[in-house]
Amino acid sequence: MSHSVEHPILDPTLAPPFPKAALTVLRDPQLRKNVAHAIDVIQTKRGKLVAEKRDWQELRSTAAAIRTHVLENLGAYLEQFEERCTAAGGHVHWASDAAEARQIILDILRKENASEVIKIKTMTSAEIQLNPFLQASGVGVFETDLAEIILQLGNEEPSHIVVPALHINRSQVREIFAKSMGRPELSDDPQALTEAARIYLRRKFLDIPAAISGANYLVAETGGVVIVESEGNGRMCLTLPKTLITLAGIEKVVPQFEDLEVMLQVLARSATGERMNPYTSLWSGVTPDDGPQKFHVVLLDNGRSSILGKPRERQTLRCIRCAACINACPVYRQTGGHAYGSVYPGPIGAILTPQLMQMRHAQSLPYASSLCGACYEVCPVKINIPEILIDLRAQVIDQQRQDIGRFFDPLYLGLRIADFLFSRASLFHAAQRLGRIGAGLFTHKDGWIHSLPSVGGKWTQTRDLRGFPNQTFREWWQNRPTQSSTQIAKEPK
Amino acid sequence: MHASLFITCYNDTLFPETGRAVVSLLERLGVELNFHPQQTCCGQMHANTGFRTEAYSQAKRLVRLFSDSENVVIPSSSCVAMMRDQYPGLFEELGSEPLRRDFAALLPRIYELSEFLVDKLGVDDVGAYFPHRVTYHASCHGLRGLHLGERPLRLLTKVRGLDFAPLSNIDRCCGFGGTFSVKNAEVSSAMLSVKLQDVLATKAEYCTALDNSCLMHLGGAMHRQYAGMKTIHMAQILASTESTPMESFQ
Amino acid sequence: MTTTQGSRAQVLDRIRSATASVAADAANLHELHAAIPRGYIRKGELSASAKIALLIERLREYDADVIECRVDELPATVSAMLSASGRHTFAAPSGLPAAWMPSGFEWKIDGGLTHEQIEVLDGVVTGASCAVADSGTIVLHHTPSEGRRVLTLLPDWHLCILHDYEVVETLPEYFARVQHPPALVTWISGPSATADIEMTRIKGVHGPRHLNVIVVHH
Repeated sequence: MSHSVEHPILDPTLAPPFPKAALTVLRDPQLRKNVAHAIDVIQTKRGKLVAEKRDWQELRSTAAAIRTHVLENLGAYLEQFEERCTAAGGHVHWASDAAEARQIILDILRKENASEVIKIKTMTSAEIQLNPFLQASGVGVFETDLAEIILQLGNEEPSHIVVPALHINRSQVREIFAKSMGRPELSDDPQALTEAARIYLRRKFLDIPAAISGANYLVAETGGVVIVESEGNGRMCLTLPKTLITLAGIEKVVPQFEDLEVMLQVLARSATGERMNPYTSLWSGVTPDDGPQKFHVVLLDNGRSSILGKPRERQTLRCIRCAACINACPVYRQTGGHAYGSVYPGPIGAILTPQLMQMRHAQSLPYASSLCGACYEVCPVKINIPEILIDLRAQVIDQQRQDIGRFFDPLYLGLRIADFLFSRASLFHAAQRLGRIGAGLFTHKDGWIHSLPSVGGKWTQTRDLRGFPNQTFREWWQNRPTQSSTQIAKEPK
Repeated sequence: MHASLFITCYNDTLFPETGRAVVSLLERLGVELNFHPQQTCCGQMHANTGFRTEAYSQAKRLVRLFSDSENVVIPSSSCVAMMRDQYPGLFEELGSEPLRRDFAALLPRIYELSEFLVDKLGVDDVGAYFPHRVTYHASCHGLRGLHLGERPLRLLTKVRGLDFAPLSNIDRCCGFGGTFSVKNAEVSSAMLSVKLQDVLATKAEYCTALDNSCLMHLGGAMHRQYAGMKTIHMAQILASTESTPMESFQ
Repeated sequence: MTTTQGSRAQVLDRIRSATASVAADAANLHELHAAIPRGYIRKGELSASAKIALLIERLREYDADVIECRVDELPATVSAMLSASGRHTFAAPSGLPAAWMPSGFEWKIDGGLTHEQIEVLDGVVTGASCAVADSGTIVLHHTPSEGRRVLTLLPDWHLCILHDYEVVETLPEYFARVQHPPALVTWISGPSATADIEMTRIKGVHGPRHLNVIVVHH
């Protein structure tokens, strides 16, 4: 968190393109250090646990298969969930888009006369921009996850889906708490800071009569909802208030209770590098005398059904929001989450965000990757993220083919020309010769190019380029003396 | 043993010495090499940037050109990954049935250089001599795309006189990523900066890899920063012997 | 006012057309699910004593206090643990066995305690439904001897009494034991923790900061 930086914009319809947004972050050494440190901790823990888990690959295979099966039969499983949840005393609502979801939630709160609400962290609620909407409608919203409190009190934006405040270090947290909790004497010891949060929230848990949660899993067979957490604020929110509203993307379903034996094993190891996170809660509808007696589930589409309809991209929805891909990503490691301009950053954000926007926005995100494949390697549900990134790039280009302005983008123009030149060897060879002459103009005495114009300048910003050799391979081959294996291929420089 | 060399568009133009080294190495090992002068590009750059139809026209051309080759050897793991990972989808979506069949028949005969040496020729000691300290960079396409595994190091550590220096964080991307290196030049450079720290820490004289794309990126920064290290494609190390040292191919 | 019925049809329609080519008939759905390959470990290999030892090791990694005893030693062991805690007033689920409530302490048996009443208590004693050794996880189904969820949430100190036959090695073995999925489950793997500040793991945010376990050998 750097005070000199403008507030990050996590609205994909407004956020600057990735290369521009990343620039701001790359110049912030504190933030880069915070991100790299956080990533390294989780990666090390995850690596150790995965190495010790002999059946890790089998778990991944089954997790991927369960999620694929659900997505292919999503309608049937959602209807089953609705039926069972309703039979157990819950109310199920269906929201086509973000606006509808926000309104449904507000209506429920008004009906229950709830002027304040406590929240368990849910990225889905950030996706639909719920908090500002509720606050503008007169409902006080109190986040209860430590990271979310830090962000809320510090007027910050999340930069990771599991550890949203990883870009903020302890002294920055101290500053935020000291000011907003009126505790100037607070030290920056994480223990003290955590204790401060505990005290700050205790009365809220006991007094505020309504809570909003997300869902890690919806169990179709039983109508159950699962929340996976570490701190206990989740348990507080889903046990103490009178009214509980769960907001869940339609893709969160698993078929049976038993399927949790796979999902829980892969989620904890992937998300926080633990064999099991401290608290996992499951509840089904309403239980008399135990917990909220008014329970609502809001099922959210908001673009998910359009992704469902694309056979190659459908796997995007397998995501269980573990952030393993984010932690493995070498791009994220350098830029942190805000550069992605979305509540979903990193590799999953790069494929999910543009698709939720039906490719109308966030078009720079599919390019925010070197296609290294580290994400695919760690994804517990085997989403082939690089494959989808390339597909989305093709969709972006197909859109831009219609746009004359983009036609003359130097890189795209260059690629179209290259395609023409590659179509015939004589053309390619001629281009090689021309290229050699042209490059020669920029080549210094040391045989290297230090500066190039236009797109080439993006290369030479930080790298030299060796000058074009005065003979291509094919020219050498053509001029080769007899094909003798004892011939030494000695060529003048 | 016959093989056709697919040199790749960028090696042809920018790193012909790698090609010369491949020729010398394979001929020394008794392979009869041919080179189709009609070859140009595999289409990876276009596919990865989103120019799918353009990539396909290049793919189609390549498959037609090499359909009769006994083996195709390619000194670039990213190009081989392109053919294994993306060609199937391209031919499925845009190709005709006969072309799909031709491609399916060709694919098993396509080899990245280290695969050809270790799997097809069954050698890991190619009789090379390279008396220098060398570190090996595992390019992502080779590591995760082709699962090259131990092959590169098996070849490298059998080179006489070579002082091998292992690289930390070997599985971390160098930041090249094709057009990513210019579309996201600053992030690419940040990743390069981190990678270079690990590479320079090996105190090697040479950083080698099976892809000149990564080496162009690493080497370009090394040269800019007067870092005192050079890059060299592994083919050139493997082709070096006492009688045909590295300089023979430069 | 939102017409959620209207959106229900719209969303389901979109889903149906999106999956038309791949969705199974209702009749086949169960079969397809049953056919999902499960090559992961479903049964542990440890002996009974090794299993208990692993559970205790994992619990202690979370800084839980763990003591083993024989079944005839249980009341005395409970008494000793409660004394050692320095605490005095404890919540008890309505179905907690009397033998687990030694004298010398104040017991508030839950017959509808309010949150405020529970908030001032020093601790809670419960049983459990199962424990998973591999991850050091205690599983509560909130039966009468385990108590309503709030009972193991508000007090700062929780003593969980586990019978050795309730312990399994792997998570799939727990699921295999469950005949009918319960309406309420809480899986507890250590006291609450956060790593949100610089990834430094801090124990005890909300929820009991002190977890104590007695493993009873039969």
